[in-house]
Amino acid sequence: MARSTGKDAQALFHSLRSAYAATPTTLKIIDLYVGFAVFTALIQVVYMAIVGSFPFNSFLSGVLSCVGTAVLAVCLRIQVNKDNKEFKDLPPERAFADFVLCNLVLHLVIMNFLG
Amino acid sequence: MAKLLLYLTLATSLIPLFSVAFSPENPTDRRVLVLVDDFAIKSSHSLYFGSLTSRGFQLEFKLADDPNIGLQRYGQYLYDALVLFCPSVERFGGSIDVASIVDFVDSGHDLIVAADSNASDLIREVATECGVDFDEDPAAMVIDHINYAVSNFDGDHTLIASDDFIKADVILGSKKIEAPVLFQGIGHSLNPANSLVLKVLSASSSAYSANPKSKLSNPPSLTGSAISLVSVVQARNNARILITGSLSMFSNRFFRSGVQKAGSSIKHEKSGNEQFLTEISKWVFHERGHLKAVNVRHHKVGESDEPAIYRINDDLEYSVEIYEWSGTSWEPYVSDDVQVQFYMMSPYVLKTLSTDQKGHYSAEFKVPDVYGVFQFKVEYQRLGYTSLSLSKQIPVRPYRHNEYERFLPAAYPYYGSAFSMMAGFFIFTIVHLYSK
Repeated sequence: MARSTGKDAQALFHSLRSAYAATPTTLKIIDLYVGFAVFTALIQVVYMAIVGSFPFNSFLSGVLSCVGTAVLAVCLRIQVNKDNKEFKDLPPERAFADFVLCNLVLHLVIMNFLG
Repeated sequence: MAKLLLYLTLATSLIPLFSVAFSPENPTDRRVLVLVDDFAIKSSHSLYFGSLTSRGFQLEFKLADDPNIGLQRYGQYLYDALVLFCPSVERFGGSIDVASIVDFVDSGHDLIVAADSNASDLIREVATECGVDFDEDPAAMVIDHINYAVSNFDGDHTLIASDDFIKADVILGSKKIEAPVLFQGIGHSLNPANSLVLKVLSASSSAYSANPKSKLSNPPSLTGSAISLVSVVQARNNARILITGSLSMFSNRFFRSGVQKAGSSIKHEKSGNEQFLTEISKWVFHERGHLKAVNVRHHKVGESDEPAIYRINDDLEYSVEIYEWSGTSWEPYVSDDVQVQFYMMSPYVLKTLSTDQKGHYSAEFKVPDVYGVFQFKVEYQRLGYTSLSLSKQIPVRPYRHNEYERFLPAAYPYYGSAFSMMAGFFIFTIVHLYSK
């Protein structure tokens, strides 16, 4: 059992990759976008840990813009996913319009708070 | 006739302007009422009264039971100070009673009370109102078998030579009193609940209060240095009171008498009474230790105008001038312990003011990083000095929205991330729309 752990993990990884390869390109783009936002947020947290929290409002708005972007993108991904039966009545155009509107509001707030 | 009447009215209305009296600008008492048991005291205590008149006091002598005496007329006090040299009076004449004396002190006037053995209940009551209690035994006197004054007329050791003075130059003058003070009379104790009363001359630890004529059967109620011979009070309104259990210590006989303490080989030609009582009456009548604060100013460092409001973290400078009344003029008061508080519920800043030795005190400090309504406070209470209590209100505001620093280099990564998120959103939108 213990010997086969490495092989199992490899097998799991392979099955995940092959399953993900079947994902539509639209969703893959959204995943990339989310990854970019989360990565930027992490960089800022590390930066804050190094230089200190002095312009705290700037830090908050910087991190929250990333987190907000990621959250909105995830919401969009849930709504435009064809496999998701919950939103099958919702047209993807409507989901995208919601996404754009929310992003505008988010960035307006962020610009106000950036200082 | 009408013209004459006019002149007369004008003249009488000007009289108050010429008469000198106690005022904030000129705080020495001028008009003193002296109540005596009989007018013999006027001559037997003439040295003391002479020292007062030579310093410009107008003494008015009245018998204590004179039916025409009164402290005030039409709501105005006629005197600035009251001297009670009437230890045996049972009832004051006129409108004076204990309550009116207390009112007199409560309105900021000064009082000297001299009791004696066999002091009347009335005088004891006045003393009790002032925070001291005379020995209840009417025949009691202070006796000291060790620190008595050697004399040829006293065998029962009630004539005490005391030199246990309070250590306060402001009360007793800067010149040291060399000779002991002669005292013969009744002792008193201070009311422990009264924090304003001070022992100026206390008995030695070997003294006790008892009837010298009878045998001591019970332990005396007052013993040792708990017995006060001379006490002073400075009330919260800066009225000053002197209380002593000996009228004879003011007398010419004690002023002139030489003094030799038992067991000491030094014989002083003259007792310390004259110096002691002169100095202490200077204090009581506000010729010393009376402070005033003027020109309270504050401004931002580098400016001279007084702002109506400060901003947090402003640097400001606070200054005040303090003068002491010397009896004739205001002299600069020099001390290194005057402090200013920047106060809102509790002092946020407490700073010692530095002085230029000419009465000008100043301090620079930074307004704390807290906004609200503050006060500049100077609470200066020192033994023997009148208390100074200044407060000036000043609001402190936070930064205005455009006073904050902007475009800080340290915040550039955050700005960058916010804008990159916007750019990312834009690019993502295009990619999402056109990738099918």
